[in-house]
Amino acid sequence: MGRSKAGVPFVIAGKELKLFIKDTQMLFFSLALPVVLIFLMVATFGAQARFHATAYVVNLDRGGRGEELVDRLSAIPELTVEVLDEATADSRLATSEIVNAIILPPGFSEAVAAGRAQIEVRRRGAGGTEGQIAVSYAAAIARELAGECLVAERVKAVLAGMGTFVPGPTVDARVSELFAGSRDNPRITVTEETVGGRPEPVVVFLPGLVTMVTLFSITLGAVGIVEERKKGTLERLMTTRLTRGEFLAGQWLGTLSKGLLQVVFLFGLAWVAFRIFTPASFAALLAFGVIAIVSVSGLGLVIAAISKTPEQANWIAVFFTMIMTVLGGSFFDVSGAKGALAVLSRLTYNFWANDGLRRIIVKGESLTSPAILTDITVLLALAAASWVVAILFFRLRGDGK
Amino acid sequence: MPETDFVLVQDLRKAFNGHMAVDGVSFNIEKGEIFGLLGPNGAGKTTTIRMMATTLPITGGDVIIGGHSVHRNPAEVRHLIGVCPQELALYLELSALDNLVFFGRMEGLSKAEALEAAMRNLELVGLADRAKHRVAKFSGGMKRRVNLAIALMNKPELLFLDEPTVGVDPQSRNHIFDTIEGLRDQGTTILYTTHYMEEADRLCRRIAVMDAGRVIALDTPRNLKSRLGDPDKVTLEDIFLDLTGRRLRDAG
Ligand SMILES: Nc1ncnc2c1ncn2[C@@H]1O[C@H](COP(=O)(O)OP(=O)(O)O)[C@@H](O)[C@H]1O
Ligand SMILES: [Mg+2]
Repeated sequence: MGRSKAGVPFVIAGKELKLFIKDTQMLFFSLALPVVLIFLMVATFGAQARFHATAYVVNLDRGGRGEELVDRLSAIPELTVEVLDEATADSRLATSEIVNAIILPPGFSEAVAAGRAQIEVRRRGAGGTEGQIAVSYAAAIARELAGECLVAERVKAVLAGMGTFVPGPTVDARVSELFAGSRDNPRITVTEETVGGRPEPVVVFLPGLVTMVTLFSITLGAVGIVEERKKGTLERLMTTRLTRGEFLAGQWLGTLSKGLLQVVFLFGLAWVAFRIFTPASFAALLAFGVIAIVSVSGLGLVIAAISKTPEQANWIAVFFTMIMTVLGGSFFDVSGAKGALAVLSRLTYNFWANDGLRRIIVKGESLTSPAILTDITVLLALAAASWVVAILFFRLRGDGK
Repeated sequence: MPETDFVLVQDLRKAFNGHMAVDGVSFNIEKGEIFGLLGPNGAGKTTTIRMMATTLPITGGDVIIGGHSVHRNPAEVRHLIGVCPQELALYLELSALDNLVFFGRMEGLSKAEALEAAMRNLELVGLADRAKHRVAKFSGGMKRRVNLAIALMNKPELLFLDEPTVGVDPQSRNHIFDTIEGLRDQGTTILYTTHYMEEADRLCRRIAVMDAGRVIALDTPRNLKSRLGDPDKVTLEDIFLDLTGRRLRDAG
């Protein structure tokens, strides 16, 4: 008789995976909900990443200065400029379609030439934050233009005083050349640097989210094991040739594959949607993910071993996940914590898993960096410890119904 | 003791928190017979089966199946038995076929062997055309037929059937009876529990009547009923009243 015992744990794992895929509620919590959370985070925190505004400009100027102001305004990356005629602007203001319009009056060029910046603003209410910022940009540029004209006039006056004759337009041209040059190579530059390397919110939240949802779904998987005891399928399995070791190995493999499915799905989606990984960092991430899942799947077995009823397993799973998630810094970085919190956080699975994932994603460290090797060692030790507890305490037999 | 006895139950006892759920039960089952355990709810039928099937530790006595003691040599016993539990013990979200194949593989069958056995057994219980449907969508009777088919995956020599017709429609009931009689004809030994006299009458060669953890009578259905008059009209109710002086619904 062909007995193929070696495959038994894999058959159990296959069955677990099938049940997982058919359990719509479980699928929702372990795959769909995390995706929704990721997008919510991006929507909430991603919106603050860059300010952007539209400036509505009505140019009534008959000289060239108004034109020049529009050009310089358009060159500002945070602004989009829309040029309107006066009637359109007024009617849009009347319907609140826009709340702010910058008017360059007919005498704008003359005023600038005389060293006076003069712009006019029509708005509804306070004109909106975006509108106010657009106006201050426009006012700054107008002052800049007026300043340049003043300088040109001064230069002409000085040259005249020295008795040197240079034609006015030549002076104007040289002065504006000078200013254009200083705009292209400014003395004061603003360099943007976000602490931690990458500013994308998804990069900051992804590790904590992934450790939380994998922990949650794996510990909840323990409920399924305990349910088998209640349903009678476990008792039925006890009348087959299945051994306790094979059963535990099978459940563990099943938990492992469910966790992996989750990790590959969430990281894969993050990669496709946000393009935040290189192939190398993605591979490192998956490898570290496997180790983290190995570690936490042992915890699932422990919960199954110590719970008498599915309800009990459920509460232990939820409680466990909450505590570990908060202490382990899935939402707030606790790596800088001091005292008791520092000690407690290091007792959680999340702390080490978060640390490793953050190092790989945010800092781009490789799997062989000393810090990540420490994370891996701790995670594997946790796996070994939970296995010992599971083997000691897990009973196939339960006299109670 | 006759050569043909395949199962020997000897002074079997089970205590739950000091209460004797099974209190010194003894009977033998011959090879190839359908043996009935008849009794009201709480009589101790299921507890007896669970001990015989090696899943519940015994408090006292022993059960010998095919020469192996359930408590000294449970692994050998498990090779010989198939159990169809009183409560459905299967995965509702999986198809009938997936359920059978899974339990077949747990019995050590290869994938091909398990598939073949699964199709044969689904054919036997009349569900071959529903093989790929989710069990959750089945009627109560069809679920019970799947529950029975799973117990056949290792071609057991001894089959335990614990009230397999409870809450079953007449069509499924007939299918189950046909299956049981077919198995008997192929030489399978069967232990069948029920609280319906007419089922035991139709299927069983001999019956042990149980009450409060004890066997209070053991005979062929005809002999049991003849004691009380017209065998065609006698029910378990009558037998029980005669044996114990109590009504069934007061028992347990
Ligand atoms: N796991 C258990 N724990 C405690 N008492 C039990 C348990 N299983 C059965 N019993 C008790 O043992 C007695 C026999 O039950 P059972 O064997 O299920 O009867 P039957 O199958 O004949 O209806 C009942 O009084 C029942 O309450
Ligand atoms: Mg029962």
